[in-house]
Parts: sequence; structure tokens; C-alpha cells
Amino acid sequence: MSETTFSVYQGLGEPVAIGAEVYNQILQHYYTEALLLDNMKLQEWGSMLAEDLVYTVPMRHTLDLASQSKTVIRTVMHMDDNYRSIMGRIMRLCGRSAWAENPPSRIRRFVSNVQVFNTDKSDEFSVINYAMVSRNRFDDDFFDLIPCERHDKLRKVDNGFKLFEREVIIDQALLGTPNLQIFL
Amino acid sequence: MTQKTGRRLADGTAISDLVDLEMREVKLRTLSDREIYDIEQEKIFGKIWLLLGHESEIPNKGDFMQRHMGEDSVIVSRDRKGEVHVMLNVCPHRGMKITTHESGNTNVHTCIYHGWAFKSDGDFLGSPVADQCMHGKMRGKEELGLTKARVTLYGGLVWATWNINGPSLEEFLGDTKWYYDMLYCRSKKGLEVAGPPQRFIIRANWKTAGEQSAADGYHTLTLHRWLGEMGNYSSDEGTQGSELAKEMLGAEVSSPHGHALRCIDLARKIVKLTGKDPSELSVEEKLRALPPPGMTSEMVDDLFETMTPEQLEVMAWMPPQVGGMFPNIIFEFLYLPQPDGTVVGSLALHTYVPKGPDKLEFTNWIFVERDTPPELKEQMIQQSVQLLGTSGMVESDDSDTWPHMTLSAKGAQGRNSTLKYQAIYETGKPEGWPGPGIVNEGFTKDDTQWHWWKYWYELMTAED
Repeated sequence: MSETTFSVYQGLGEPVAIGAEVYNQILQHYYTEALLLDNMKLQEWGSMLAEDLVYTVPMRHTLDLASQSKTVIRTVMHMDDNYRSIMGRIMRLCGRSAWAENPPSRIRRFVSNVQVFNTDKSDEFSVINYAMVSRNRFDDDFFDLIPCERHDKLRKVDNGFKLFEREVIIDQALLGTPNLQIFL
Repeated sequence: MTQKTGRRLADGTAISDLVDLEMREVKLRTLSDREIYDIEQEKIFGKIWLLLGHESEIPNKGDFMQRHMGEDSVIVSRDRKGEVHVMLNVCPHRGMKITTHESGNTNVHTCIYHGWAFKSDGDFLGSPVADQCMHGKMRGKEELGLTKARVTLYGGLVWATWNINGPSLEEFLGDTKWYYDMLYCRSKKGLEVAGPPQRFIIRANWKTAGEQSAADGYHTLTLHRWLGEMGNYSSDEGTQGSELAKEMLGAEVSSPHGHALRCIDLARKIVKLTGKDPSELSVEEKLRALPPPGMTSEMVDDLFETMTPEQLEVMAWMPPQVGGMFPNIIFEFLYLPQPDGTVVGSLALHTYVPKGPDKLEFTNWIFVERDTPPELKEQMIQQSVQLLGTSGMVESDDSDTWPHMTLSAKGAQGRNSTLKYQAIYETGKPEGWPGPGIVNEGFTKDDTQWHWWKYWYELMTAED
């Protein structure tokens, strides 16, 4: 039995081998994305997004073992965005008065566990990856930690990839950071 | 009559010394002090009506959800007869939580520690090993149920209090109920939640959010000024923020119980939509042209059955759009201008649940009308999530401000500085205003928030 038949891979296409050319290109894309975001280059990050983008952060619920499939809540979510609204957020955050991120948090995005899958379309890839996001504000002597599992879809374009779908599965039912004026 | 002073804090300060009734100032230490917080838990959160959610969250018999009254976890449950109960989520046996789940459905709540079992109305059912009678013989079964709060449903909203023989919710809401009816009782089928509430932690005292909810319109101009710079209220004429400043005009309603509503004039929106002066239009024409947020022109039919002519007049003129209910609730019934000139509603309700003197849990429910067409529902939910709550481009700026106020309240000098509520209305009700309550017309002022603190003062200095 191939490992890709495990239930966690259901609905995903053929895996792209770790170290394959496309895999390495996508890994580089994630490193670039994290570096841009961590350095507040939001408009440049915006250029890596496709215009049909759907970007969501569902809520999580604490339920018993038998109900685990219901723990991701997508009726009301923490973030429910598209290309237009993300661009609006970027414009706001780059403006003069987005006080929730002005002064900005110091953020570090550690991306790991990157797994790439082919899809029906030769230029589109599904990616599951983990991100450990740490956020520090003002004189806080602690970090807000936002570990998450990201379910992405990337489209190959001339000079790289564009993100056209991201669902961020967070690990807190009661979110421990005061807002999501940051991108995960 | 001698003035009530309330308890004294360890340093000798009387609770009454924290509020200067004449100068309309409040000592900043109220925003961080542990002792004050503990007294609030008893005299406010232990005494008055608290909002826990909406009955549409638990539509079926046996449905339950976990919520908090102050720091106490409670189970909100619909029993086998369909009635809603609120009970302390603490096993009377050894104190284990009865449920650790966010929500679920069951007719029997069984404690996982020793197995004591309770019905969906909180009554004690039994303990395992029946022949040994492990719950003992000293207390009868009727004494071993979960501690029950008193419950009232209003407009589908679930309210509870530990004050079993205290005032009714209707008495608590008082004159302001006339206005809340326009929000929660306006449609025949009623509102429903779009989903479970967003929940997140802000490291701030609950009152930083609570007092702002009592209709602080003023902060919008500065803290949320991006709305005028580039958001929904940016002006075409290039005079940044001017559209936002106009939103500060209207009437503000407050009450001796600290509830507050900002009623904002719809005239400019109606002119934009119809090209006519509102005075040329009937109440019905105005309501059809600009229906209450979340409703369509057709849904306005309902209003003529549910509302009085006086309420309809206010709904077409200066409807309540944002405000609070004491102590920790804010409501939003927003008419949000869209780039294409139309208006889409956002309906939200938050509670700021205290989690210690320096921490609150922001709980955000998003509402739609049951009758709202699916496409509009979707638009409303997405807009609400983008502007309010966790990732809300408006409210996130608040969530970063309240923690700083809480920190300010800790300094030896800062704690003795004061919050000031000295911008006072000198106007009174708008001419022809048909509604009850303390009502003032004009640019937003501090009165509503001051009334909020006066009720805080009244409760905190009340005899035990």
C-alpha cells in the first residue's frame, strides 16, 4: 500500500516528490513569501496573489473524538477574504492609520512539512504545509504563537507561482492573539 | 440620606471614591485593579442579566453549548420539552466540568470523573453503582442537580442571571427596550446566527471595551479614521474623513441602567439612493428605499405588523445602529455603503467576557434574518467578518488600544489619573422624537458612557 492512500491525502492528486524541480521551486516560493511578509513588504506579497484568490481562516471547536470531522467551522470564520478584500487590507495596512499594526508586530513565519500534489491542471498544484507564526508587539515579554496547517493552491506563472487558494487551519478554539491584522 | 460608599479596598479607598459624580471622572485604577475586579464579579456579573447567545445556536431538543457568565463556565441547553436552561458547568460532586465540549447534543450530561448524570434541564439523574447509593443519603436528589440560573429569551437572545428573584430582563432594559425591539423583534421569523461566535483573547480589562460600547461615537473619527481615508466612508470630494464626521450626527439614547444606543440620521443615504429630500417621502417610502440592515424592500412588509407607527418613524429617520447593553455587550446594525452606491447590512453582537482584571474574551456573533435571501446573507457574513471581530479591519484597532489603557492603569501615577466624560449634551430630544429614554440630539457626546459608569457605581456601592 502506497502511503498516499492514507485518508489524510484524500482528494489530493499524485504527490510531487520531495526534491523534484517543481517541489524546489514551490519551496523557494514559500521562503520568499515568508521573507516578504516578515519584512512587511505587503504590496510585493500582493503581487504573488492571483485575482481569483480565496483566503480563509476557519474557526476550530473542541468536540469529542467521534466528532473530529466537525471541528473546523466554516460557517462563520476568523478570516473570509478574496483578492479584492486582501488588496484592501494591504492598502489599509500600508496607510497612515491601521493602528492594530502600527507600530507593526515583529513576526516570524517558519514554514515546514511542505507536501506538493499535482492536480487536474498541469500548471496548478495543491500544497499542504505547516506554518509556525510567532508575533511580538511592543514590550511584550511573550510571543503570540499561531501554529497552523495551510491548505494552498498555487498556479505556475511565467516568473514563479501565484496563490489562488489558502485555507489556514489554526490550532486554537479560543484564539490567543488579539486580532488577525496579519497574514498567515 | 447618607451616600453609599460601598466596600473599602485594602489601601482604604472606598469604592465611591473611584467615581467623581460632580466632575464626571473615573479613577483609571478601575481598569486593572484585582480587588475591584473581584467585587465586580460578585456585584455585577453575579447580579445582573448576562447575554449568552441566541436560541438559533441550539435549535434541537438536547442541543447544548458551553458559555461563560463572568469566569463561570455554564451549559446552555435545550431540554426534551424544547425549553432553554442555563446551568453551572460544575459537577456538584467534586467540581469537575460536566462538559468540556464547545457544543453538542445529549439528553444526559454525564460527568467523566465519577459518572454522576444530569438531565438536559440540569436535574440530577443518578450516580453509578446504584445499590451503593454513592451520592449519599444526606442530601436529596433534588438538591444534587446542577446550579441553575434564571433564564429569559428576548428576540431569540438567551439571557441568564444568578439573581433568581431580582428584576426581570424587561425591567433591566427599561425604556431602551423600545429601541432594542426595532433590532431584535422587527421581523416575524426573527434573526438567526450565521454560525458559532468568533472567540479570541484581548489582554485588557473588560471595562475598556464595556464603557466604549456605551455609544462612544467620538473615537471613530480618530481610531477608525482609515474608514474616512480609504474605507467605506472615504469622500469623493477629497475632503478626507468628512463623510465619517457626518456619521457622528444623530441622537443618542441612554438609560439609568447603562444601556446606550446611537441613532444615526439616514437622511444623506436616502438622498443618495432616491435623489429626494427625506421630508418629501413617507415613512414607508423611506423604509422601502433603504430597508433596515439585513432586510430587503419586500421584507419591510413585516415591520408594519411588528412595530408601532412611532417605532417605524424612528427606523426610517434615525435608527439605532450601534450601542451597548450593560455591562459587556455591544450591538451593531450597520448600513455599509458599497463602492457601487448600494448599501449592505452588517449585524453583529459582541460580549466582552471578563477573564481576570487584565484579560477579556471577545465573543462575536454575526446575525442574519432568517428570511434574508441566501445571496445577501453570504454578502453580509463576509462583510461582517472583514470589518468586525477577529480580522475586522475596524475593530482590530480597538483590540490594540484597550490593552494599553489597562497597562496605563497599573502605574503609580497612571492609576490615579482619571477617565473624563465632560463633553455634555445641551440639546435634548430631536423635535418630534416619539421614543422614550434619555435622548439627546446632535454630535456624539459623553453622556451615554457617563450613564454607563453611573450604573457601575450604583451596583458597586449597593448594599450586600
